[in-house]
Amino acid sequence: MADRFKLSVKNLSKAFVTKKDDTLVIDDISMDVRENEFLVILGPGQCGKTVLLNMVAGLLKPTLGEIYMDGEKVSGLDKRVRMVFQKLALLPWLTVSKNVQIGMKYAKVPKEQRERVAQHYIDLVGLQGFERSYPHQLSGGMKQRVGIARAYASAPEVLLMDEPFGQLDAQTRYSMEDEILKIWDKDKRTILFVTNNIEEAVYLADRIVLLSKRPAKVKDVFDLTGLPRPRDNLSEEFLRIRQEIADQMDLDLGQ
Amino acid sequence: MKKHTFILRNFLLNLLSFLSLGLLVLLWIVGSSGEASILPSPYEVWTKFLALSEDPIAGMSMLGHSLQSLRRVFVGLLAATVVGIPLGTMIGWSERFRAIFQPVFEIIRPIPPLAWVPLISIWCGVFEFSKYILVFIGTFSAIVVNTYAGVNLANRDNIAVGRMFGARGVRLITDIVFPSALPSIMAGLKTALTTGWGVVLAAEMISANYGLGMLVTRGSDSNDIQLVLVAMLLIGLIGALMSTAFTILERRLSPWRTDLN
Amino acid sequence: MAENNEYKVEVRHLYKNFGSLEVLKDCNFNVKRGEFICVVGPTGCGKTTFLNLLTCLLEPTSGEILIDGKPANPKKHNLAFVFQEPTAYPWLTVRKNLGYCLSLKHLPKQEIAARVENIARLMGLSADLDRYPSELSTSTEQKVVIGRAFAMNPDLLLMDEPYGQMDIKTRFYLEDEVVRIWKELHSTVLFITHNIEEAVYLADRILILSQKPASVKEDVVVDLPRPRDINSPEFVRLRSYVTDQIKWW
Repeated sequence: MADRFKLSVKNLSKAFVTKKDDTLVIDDISMDVRENEFLVILGPGQCGKTVLLNMVAGLLKPTLGEIYMDGEKVSGLDKRVRMVFQKLALLPWLTVSKNVQIGMKYAKVPKEQRERVAQHYIDLVGLQGFERSYPHQLSGGMKQRVGIARAYASAPEVLLMDEPFGQLDAQTRYSMEDEILKIWDKDKRTILFVTNNIEEAVYLADRIVLLSKRPAKVKDVFDLTGLPRPRDNLSEEFLRIRQEIADQMDLDLGQ
Repeated sequence: MKKHTFILRNFLLNLLSFLSLGLLVLLWIVGSSGEASILPSPYEVWTKFLALSEDPIAGMSMLGHSLQSLRRVFVGLLAATVVGIPLGTMIGWSERFRAIFQPVFEIIRPIPPLAWVPLISIWCGVFEFSKYILVFIGTFSAIVVNTYAGVNLANRDNIAVGRMFGARGVRLITDIVFPSALPSIMAGLKTALTTGWGVVLAAEMISANYGLGMLVTRGSDSNDIQLVLVAMLLIGLIGALMSTAFTILERRLSPWRTDLN
Repeated sequence: MAENNEYKVEVRHLYKNFGSLEVLKDCNFNVKRGEFICVVGPTGCGKTTFLNLLTCLLEPTSGEILIDGKPANPKKHNLAFVFQEPTAYPWLTVRKNLGYCLSLKHLPKQEIAARVENIARLMGLSADLDRYPSELSTSTEQKVVIGRAFAMNPDLLLMDEPYGQMDIKTRFYLEDEVVRIWKELHSTVLFITHNIEEAVYLADRILILSQKPASVKEDVVVDLPRPRDINSPEFVRLRSYVTDQIKWW
C-alpha cells in the first residue's frame, strides 16, 4: 500500500532561453518525497539544483512537467512551502525578530502571536538575545540560523533548503548540520535539502537523490534510512556509502 | 596603546582640516591687503555683516533673506520629491512605464534649469511660483534617475524572499523594493539638495525682491563687494550645513547601513 | 648558521597583537625545502592573520620570519598566494594571467612564454590560453590562479582555503592537481584549511594552531604514501586524531 507522498515531481524540465541560445538545465526529473522525511538532493556544482528547488518553491515556472503536493497539482507560490535561500537574503533593514516574522506578517497573523512564535523559533535556533540586532551585526553561522528560524516560523509543511551551509567554514558547517537535525527532530517537517557536499548529504539524509551534471537528470537514489542516527562521519559504514556515492557522482569541470 | 594612536590620528586629521581652512582665510587676508586690492578683507566683510543687521536691505535681515532662499528650495524640492519618487519607482519597476516615460525624460533631462527661465517667465511671471518651478525642474531629474536606478538594482534575492513569504504587488514594492532602493534614493536627494540650492540662487540673481542671490546681484550692481562676499559666505555656510544635516538624517533613517559614517 | 640550508622557512617567537588583542603568541615552526604543510585550527583562531604575517602584508609585533635564512621580504623573496575567491585578473587572458607575476619581475619575454607554456601544460590549461577568466568555470579559474602562483617558482606558495565552496569532486580533483604540480616543481607550500580531511590528504606535516591567542600546539607528521586513500584506516585514524586535537582546545 503506497503511502501518499507529501510532494511529487513528475517529468520536470526547465530550459532557459536567451538571445544566444536555449539551455536545457533540468531534464525530465521525477521524484517523490515522503512526509516528514529529510530528503537530500545532491549534485555537482552548477548542475541546476537551485533551479529545481526554485521550481518546487514556485518562484520559477517549469517548462514541462508538474508538481504535486498531497496528491493535488500545485503551481506558483504556495504558502505551504518555504525556502531557506543559498545567499540568505535576510532583509538588511529589518531586525532579526522582524525578519523571522515576515511570513506571518503577510499571512495576516496578529502581532502578538507573530512575536511569540518568532521568539520561540529564535530561541530554538539558539539566538535568544539577538532579536533586535540587524543582520549585518551577525556572523555567517548566526545569519544562517535566522534564515532557518524565518522559514520555520511561517509554519511550512515543506521546507526547502538551498545549500544553506555552503558559505560556512568546515567546523561551523558540522555544528550547523547537528543543529538542523536537532531542530528537525523536535519539529518534524518534510525537508528538501540541496547540497554539493557528499559528506553532508550522507550525514543528514534519510534518502539521497543524486543528480547528474547539467542538464540535470536523476542519476540514482540512495536509501539511508538503515543508517542509525546520530551518524559518525568516520565510521566504516559511513565512509563506504560515501565512497559509493562519490564514485557515481559526475565530475563537472564546466566548459 | 592602539586606542591612543587612533584618537591621535583622528585629532591630526581634524587638525589638518582646520589648517586648510585657516590657510584659505590666510590667503584671503593676503589677497585683500594692499592698496590696489579690490577684495575686501575678512574684517571688512565682518563689519559689513554687522552693519547689515542694523540697516537691513529690502526691509529684511540677513536671516530673513536666508530663510526666503531656503523656503524656495524646500518647496521646490518637496514637490520634486513627491512627484519624482513614485515616478522613478514606476519607471524602475514596470517595463511598460519605462517604455512610455523614459524617452521623454531623457530628452528633457539635459536642458539646464536656467534655460527654462524665459518660458517660465512668460507662463508664471517672475514671482514666487516661478522660483518653485525652477527648483522643481532642477531637482526632478536627479531624484527620478536615482530612484529608478535604486529600484532597478534592488537585490533580486530580497525580492524573491518577499514573494516567497507572501508579499504581492504594491506591498512588494513598498516593503521590499523601496527599502532596498533607499540608499540610492537618499543619494539622489542629496544631489538634488545641492543642485536646488544652486538653482534658487541663480534664479534670485536674475530677478527677485529678496533672498541671498538677490543680495549678490544688488551688491554687484552697487559696487558693494562686501555685500557680495557676505552673501557668498552665507550661501556657502548654509549649503554646507544642509549637507551635514542631511547626512545625519540619512544615518538616523537607515540604522542598518554600515557604509554611512 | 650552517643549518640554514635545510629550512626554507623559519618562524621564531612570532607574536602579533592588534591593540590589546593578542592574536598570535609565541609561534615557532620550521618548514623544510619542498615540504607541503597544512595549517589547521579552530574557527577564528587567527589563521588568516598568520597568513598575512607570512605574506608580509602585516608586520609582526615581535619575532621573526626567515626565508632561506634571511628576514622575509616580498621584494627579495618570491612569495605567491592563492585566496579563496579566484582572483584571476578579468582584463587579462589566461596566458597573460599566468605570466603576470613573471612580467612584474621583468624576466625576458622568451622565458616568460616558455614558463607559461610549461605551466599551462602541467595544469591542463593549454586549450584555454587565449580565453578570458569570465569565460571559464570557477574551478578552471582557480586553476589559472594556482598556475599563476606556481609559474613564479615561488620560494613559498601560500594558499588560504582555495577550494572553499567547490563541490567535493572538484575539490578532490584540484587537490590532486596541486599535489602533482608541487611534486614536479619541488615548491614549498603552506596550505591553510578548515577541512581536516583535506589537510590529511595533502600534507607532509600538519600544524595545529590552538585557540586565540594562537600558537603552534602540535606538529603532526603524515607519513602516508601518495596518492592517499581517504577511506583507509590509517587515514581515518589520523583525521580523527587531528579533529580531536582541535576540539580539545
